Amino acid sequence: MDFSYTAKEEAFRNELRTWLQDNLPEGWLDGTFEYPEEENERAAFLRDWQRKLSEGRWAGISWPEQYGGRGATLVEEVIFEQEMAKVKAPPIINTIGTAMVGPTLLQIGTDYQKETYVPKILNGDEIWCQGYSEPSAGSDLAAIQTRAVKQGDKWIINGQKVWTSFAHLADKCFLLARTENTGKKHEGITAFLIDMHQPGVEVRPIHQINDAYDFNEVFLNDAVAYEADVVGEVGDGWRVGLILLSHERVGVAKQTFRLQKLFDELADMAKTLEKNGRPLIEDQIVRQKLVGFRAKTRALLLNYYRHLTDTIRNGRPGPEGSLDKLASSELGQQMLAFGVSIQGANGQLWKEDAPVNANWQKDWLRSFAYTIEGGTSEIQRNIVGERILKLPKDIKH
Amino acid sequence: MDFALNEEQTLFQNQTRQFLESKGDLTIPRSYMEGKEEVLEELWKGLGDLGYMGITISEEYGGLGLGDLTLVPILEEMGRVVVPGPYPETVAFAVPLLQAYGTEAQKQKYLPSIAEGKRKVTLAVLEASGELAPSEVQLQAKVSGDEYVLQGTKILVPHGDIADTLIVPVRTGGTNSEYGISLVIVDADQVTLDTKKQISMDETRKMVQVTFNEVRVPKAQLLGPENAGWGILQSGLIHLNAALTSTMVGGMDRVVEMSTEYAKTREQFGQPIGRFQAIKHRIVDMKLDMDSARSLSYYASWAVENKTDDMVEAVALARSFSSEAYLDIAGKNIQNHGGMGFTWEFDCHFFLKRARALENHLGSPESFRETAAVEMGWNGKKALV
Repeated sequence: MDFSYTAKEEAFRNELRTWLQDNLPEGWLDGTFEYPEEENERAAFLRDWQRKLSEGRWAGISWPEQYGGRGATLVEEVIFEQEMAKVKAPPIINTIGTAMVGPTLLQIGTDYQKETYVPKILNGDEIWCQGYSEPSAGSDLAAIQTRAVKQGDKWIINGQKVWTSFAHLADKCFLLARTENTGKKHEGITAFLIDMHQPGVEVRPIHQINDAYDFNEVFLNDAVAYEADVVGEVGDGWRVGLILLSHERVGVAKQTFRLQKLFDELADMAKTLEKNGRPLIEDQIVRQKLVGFRAKTRALLLNYYRHLTDTIRNGRPGPEGSLDKLASSELGQQMLAFGVSIQGANGQLWKEDAPVNANWQKDWLRSFAYTIEGGTSEIQRNIVGERILKLPKDIKH
Repeated sequence: MDFALNEEQTLFQNQTRQFLESKGDLTIPRSYMEGKEEVLEELWKGLGDLGYMGITISEEYGGLGLGDLTLVPILEEMGRVVVPGPYPETVAFAVPLLQAYGTEAQKQKYLPSIAEGKRKVTLAVLEASGELAPSEVQLQAKVSGDEYVLQGTKILVPHGDIADTLIVPVRTGGTNSEYGISLVIVDADQVTLDTKKQISMDETRKMVQVTFNEVRVPKAQLLGPENAGWGILQSGLIHLNAALTSTMVGGMDRVVEMSTEYAKTREQFGQPIGRFQAIKHRIVDMKLDMDSARSLSYYASWAVENKTDDMVEAVALARSFSSEAYLDIAGKNIQNHGGMGFTWEFDCHFFLKRARALENHLGSPESFRETAAVEMGWNGKKALV
């Protein structure tokens, strides 16, 4: 057991810290920065941040150096997420490109695909999204119905995708579609790279309960993919899709570190708010609950480190990531709910009228998606039950 | 960054499991409950032969000179089998205190015999209220020549009837304050103690009321400076609470395993019940709690071994979380076993009762959380009620 970092890892951390100090938007660190409200301005801001990261070689840090990455180790990737969480850095708009599509193309893409797409992923010129879920294929992802039919050297795609993050901003999409109906769900799926700026692609943002638009519906109406844009073999898309997901090497590192920060914010709020003229943190019930959250956030972090140790030793992540996902999503919900709750009757107000900081209300509402997106808690519990505890498999058709 | 047991610690874990299986696994606590108290003696001797009594004792006194972390896998294995006996009290309370505060003569007298498996030590700290607080230490120690004369009663002394040695916080001064508490080492074979077994739900962890009636102990049996015993006690309790947490994690580990195995084999509606999400998901939640308790416990023992700044907080968080989680999942284990889990013949109740025995022992989950709050700088004592 050793919680220390090597000199090389510390140097990596320091380099990143210095870079963040110099490159975060004006006013970001002292909290005076104001996020652009207007959608286009916000997109421009995020693209700009992506470009800065690329220029500093902080986009795609795990990529091999020959492709512009840093060949970062797993621990360095974790340090990256730690430092980004500490400063609550702006979201990385091309995260699907840099974290998943790029590495997948480098692993199994053709030379054409590597030359055409990879450099623009890294420099942020092309933003990517990922077309997986469909209205009838949520947890049961293999049930996708979007069809791709070959016509000459093109594939014509029809169907609908849903819950597609970044689709309204994306230039390209990594898309799964059915190319054959063999009767077996996992067969006959093919992975395509398609252009989002074509007539056959229509994106409609989804209005969420937090009055925001993180996700989209994507309608494919005779959308076109070229033969050269099939990833892997035709009909092998399920496996290719899994390869893509396997590049999420550090699991829920980001969420885990964000929750450490959230705990601090929760405690700080309890020190500021008052009840009967005394700081809320002196109230026994609040105090006890807070320390309970402290234990859980620590446990989350330490569980994550234990699983990371396993990943380093085994050379690849195991199903334990599902335990971390399950725990982090539920703990996030609990802490945000408590954060709003201790604001008392005024806690029902949001936006400009939020009593403390509008993020509490916004994030609390957003947290209801934590246990749905990226695999519901029910699916995570099945994965843990079946792959770790080896309990009998769920009834499936 | 490496957050796992090392090779040596894993080896200890495997050896302990083999040893306990060879002694009958869960028939050990059952035999003990049925009155075969010799199983404890056999166990103790075996652990001594394996060298497990001296893990943290320095080599010059016959031990291995390893840290608290090495005890973790052994304590977990003991928790898995709900073994009887004051092992945590001996190796994770008496040993660190003797090493830190014992005189040379005390070290010579006690440490080698502990290492050989020839001495069981327990802690006699609680009095009538069962609360751990300076005001509750009222057992009087009057000086008479070069002796203390002890008068008073301690309760809930783990295995106080068979312990060779008791470490006893007594009052040598003051009335209710921390000042005036001293620790005295009492050898059971040198004095006459009036012991009375208390009827505990957990029959694998005997609770004993020990009455000291004009018990005379030489002043040389004082552990650490006179009147400064409260602080010394706390430094010992850090080790002990970390160790008790490890035994709870072991119990949790076993409970998850029992539920998992039962859910694979028990069939209803033509299916193993583990196929049903109502059962499967509950077991997953139990595992998650167990993993969290284990991570907090590993970290706590690592912090204690390395004397980190957050050592007290780390132990308090681990202890409060585990005390509640163990009780909770031991109950869920009964539910997963259905009617069989409710029977005396099935082993499920061992874990429930051990969890209950430890829940508030030496501090409630609430009190440990308050300790953590104060450690985090949330100005204590002023808390509103």
